[in-house]
Amino acid sequence: MAYSDKVVDHYNNPRNVGSMPKEDPNVGTGLVGAPECGDVMKLQMKINPETQVIEEAKFKTFGCGSAIASSSLATEWVKGKTVEEALSIKNTDIVRELSLPPVKIHCSVLAEDAIKAAIGDWKKKHGVEVPVSEKASH
Amino acid sequence: MSNNSGYFELFGLPRKLWIEMGALEQKFLQLSWKFHPDNFVNASEHERELSLQRSSELNDAYRVLRDPVARVEYLLGIEGARKEGEHKQQAPPELLEEVFELNESLDELREAKASGGDLAALKARLESAEKNFQQKLDEVDEQLQAAARKWDTALQGNAAMRKKIMAKLNDLLNRRSYIRNLVTNVQKELV
Repeated sequence: MAYSDKVVDHYNNPRNVGSMPKEDPNVGTGLVGAPECGDVMKLQMKINPETQVIEEAKFKTFGCGSAIASSSLATEWVKGKTVEEALSIKNTDIVRELSLPPVKIHCSVLAEDAIKAAIGDWKKKHGVEVPVSEKASH
Repeated sequence: MSNNSGYFELFGLPRKLWIEMGALEQKFLQLSWKFHPDNFVNASEHERELSLQRSSELNDAYRVLRDPVARVEYLLGIEGARKEGEHKQQAPPELLEEVFELNESLDELREAKASGGDLAALKARLESAEKNFQQKLDEVDEQLQAAARKWDTALQGNAAMRKKIMAKLNDLLNRRSYIRNLVTNVQKELV
């Protein structure tokens, strides 16, 4: 199976690799994993509490090329977006952008879960209730 | 897999996780001969096709049933307790934390290796990491065995109990899958 050019690009030049202090009240951390393939993905966002804009995003993923590309793309996409906008990102958007084959769709699901988990963590820190409708719906 | 009668049923076994290997092999050989395409050379095309299909099903069944981990995975699948692919289940957070940290330390070792650090010291660290992961894998396997025994005793028991044991088996399989990956990755670095 060949990876698409976009996956290869993100794999070779991953954007926003790194981490931010978990304890920072403005940082939301999402840690998710896929037991079938053993992938683990950590996605962090620094969110402005006034504007709710995601000012910084970092990731670290241990896994296959598609998992790395999906999380790299996710950090690119969420930056500059508001929390609400970021929550509307769907795994299918990632599949389309990266031309992921069916066997790699779970990597994009993982990235969507990571975005939601990170925002959920941030909301918890700020005492914001996460409405049920915003939880991953798969 | 449409008209598949199920691997346990094919071998005439109850859905128990403890299987006597000698008896399993005997039964496999016996059925292999029964379904063998050589016995159907003069049969109709339909029967020949059927024998081929059964032989391949039998091989799949034997491969799964003789492997204790694959056996648990299969059982959970047919009991509807294991979801795969897009509808996978989430691993517990404390396991993810642990796996993430173990992966990070493996990454550090890789970087040190790439930048040509003290190779002897590095090799020692990798070997100790391998030992550590292997030990964790052994622990999981022991826990899996214990849970499998519980399953066998609860086979006739109530549904709630069986469900609880299946959840436990499922968690253990997930944990095993992560640790198995770590062992493989550290072994790659040691080659």
